Amino acid sequence: MLRVAIVGCGKIADQHVQAIRRIADCRIAAVCDREPLMASQLGERFGISNCFSDLQEMLDATSPDVVHITTPPQSHFPLASQCLKSGAHVYVEKPFTITAEDADSLIHFADACALKITVGHNYQFTQEMLEMRRLVEQGFLGGKAVHLESHFSYDLGDASYVGPLLGSRTHWVRQLPGQLLHNVVSHGISRLTEFLDDDLTDIVARAHQSTQLRNLGGEEILDELRVLIRDKSGTTALFCFSTQIKPGLNQFRICGPRNSIVVDQACGSLIRNENRSYKSYLTFLVPPLQNAREHLRNARLNIANFAGRKLYHDFGVAELISRFYQSIRLTAPPPIPYRQIVLTARIMDHIFAQIYGKNPVSRPDEFECCVT
Amino acid sequence: MDLECATSSTDRILVTGSNGFVGVKVVETLLEYGFANLRCFVRPSSQLERLKKVLDRHPAGINVELFSGDLLSPGDCREAAEGISIIYHLAAGFDKSFAGAFMNSALATRNLMDGFLQHGQPKRFVNVSSFAVYSNLKLKRGALLDESSPLEEAPQERYDAYAFGKLKQEALVKDYGDRYRLPYVILRPGTIFGPGQRGLSGRVGIDTFGFFLHVGGSNILPLTFVDNCAEAIVLAGLKPGIDGEIFNIVDDETLTSSQFFRAYKKRVKPFFSVRVPYFVAHGLCFLWEKYSHWSKGQLPPAFNRRRCAAEWKGNRFSNQKIQQQLGWKPRVDIQTAMASFLEQSDPNRT
Repeated sequence: MLRVAIVGCGKIADQHVQAIRRIADCRIAAVCDREPLMASQLGERFGISNCFSDLQEMLDATSPDVVHITTPPQSHFPLASQCLKSGAHVYVEKPFTITAEDADSLIHFADACALKITVGHNYQFTQEMLEMRRLVEQGFLGGKAVHLESHFSYDLGDASYVGPLLGSRTHWVRQLPGQLLHNVVSHGISRLTEFLDDDLTDIVARAHQSTQLRNLGGEEILDELRVLIRDKSGTTALFCFSTQIKPGLNQFRICGPRNSIVVDQACGSLIRNENRSYKSYLTFLVPPLQNAREHLRNARLNIANFAGRKLYHDFGVAELISRFYQSIRLTAPPPIPYRQIVLTARIMDHIFAQIYGKNPVSRPDEFECCVT
Repeated sequence: MDLECATSSTDRILVTGSNGFVGVKVVETLLEYGFANLRCFVRPSSQLERLKKVLDRHPAGINVELFSGDLLSPGDCREAAEGISIIYHLAAGFDKSFAGAFMNSALATRNLMDGFLQHGQPKRFVNVSSFAVYSNLKLKRGALLDESSPLEEAPQERYDAYAFGKLKQEALVKDYGDRYRLPYVILRPGTIFGPGQRGLSGRVGIDTFGFFLHVGGSNILPLTFVDNCAEAIVLAGLKPGIDGEIFNIVDDETLTSSQFFRAYKKRVKPFFSVRVPYFVAHGLCFLWEKYSHWSKGQLPPAFNRRRCAAEWKGNRFSNQKIQQQLGWKPRVDIQTAMASFLEQSDPNRT
């Protein structure tokens, strides 16, 4: 039985508690928050009696096997280090750390302690992403990926998140080097890093502020981002983050030398695009029908998953946590390779350096730059 | 207005949520009563047109101080409470998550009370809560719901983050009253309506499934018009001898859900709706709740028997206590109030 602790009892902690409760052979032994009232409200709602406001005190008193860190990103590095020192495996919410350098150090430290660490890139473990990975491993693409596209949207209409962020210059999101983008883009970028080499030859980032955010009083915050990436072996990638595209996109496209796959995480579907040629007007008739068949297949799968109680909102979180715990029990590799965690952080460093540069309060147009 | 006050008009008053739907009216009423030594707590990102209009209308509005800050910052709360005698705490969080609702309601209130005790000259802390804190699960249909009615014991089962936040907020205020002798009054308004608030209350029905389900039927709505509600709130800060009291705010005359809904559809816009009797709604909520439990949350328990009862069971309401102890009398009658509410959304309005 793994004994789990949670540090940081804000909104995201609920998601972790609910996911952990779906997993066998583990239990939440303690929760901790610098604000005692926050710790006690979480403990009270989920029947967890050990509530702490001091991390070291919690580690000493409960000796958890795993600690989930669900605090603002600025504290991830010191808190994770402290947990590793005490002998606990660590699950860190995204973004993993503020910089790639910190990410690298933390992973090395975990290795040195013979402990495991992972990051909350849960979108990598939804049903459709697991199917995509199976197809890629089976050779569906016909070789190494030629091109990748990741689209990720965020709805500014969710006032519960944007309101506090815009309401205070001292809000922790505003203190991140990449501000709003820093807190949300790692999901979309981590999808790319799985199929990119470590050697990147190009990263070109462009960003601006949407009219909607400007009207909301977004000041220096940027919310529209486009990035082009190329690795040494020639695989290219496009990343698009938008608060304006409607309907919101949460898609991943991976194109191989033979076939391609489109994963739509907004509606839980995966479309296989096979390279077949048809004579004359059949080109216009057969492929749409094949696409229709793919969509029907997805609908059927989703209905089956719904009937089987597997279509719940936090499937990806529970799956990632479950795989992480399994890797601890079996001393197997962690579910997200460390290479991917560091590469995601490196790409983010490059993006924020390009779009914010040294003067993050300039007009949006002035952030546009190109570094190759 | 001839008023026996626990405070003088020169005392400094802080209003949180002062740019909100009710807050603006509270500020306006205070100015009308001759209390001009006001500090309005606003969010830095707030669009302040509504509040500024009110201040511009009153000659004394020029002296009103706007304090821009975050209630989750103890420092901002300390600064805002400096030299304050009365706090009208109206700021409310509508975060859908339980943790978010707790932060915005309970933590923010704790910070404000700490600041008030340390840096203010506390005469009264007026905490504006909500009818959402009540549970009518054990009350019969049509039974009286008043200040002595039971509070919700399981807001999580009701899947009501707002109620959870408000319950915790009230508990903290009472605790500060007991432990630190903070003089407080708690107000629980019913369904506040008026210009500035366009939607239909959940007590009338829901449009979650793409069309409107009218569940309220012949239930009496605990309506309070925004001007009436604001005046009750103001009085709760001024009236002596009511420390530690809790008051519901409901107007004298109210409407049934059907009357309200018909008037809304007639004046604002006609749309398709389906009437759902309470026993059917209760049965569907029961099934939803059971399925949610069986499926381990594949569908969240958004519909459940506790919520069904709280929204649509139907009770009678009383304003006897607030009328007797505060001397409050709704100044706007229901016809005028409805006309004012409906006019804002009237497509034929010129």
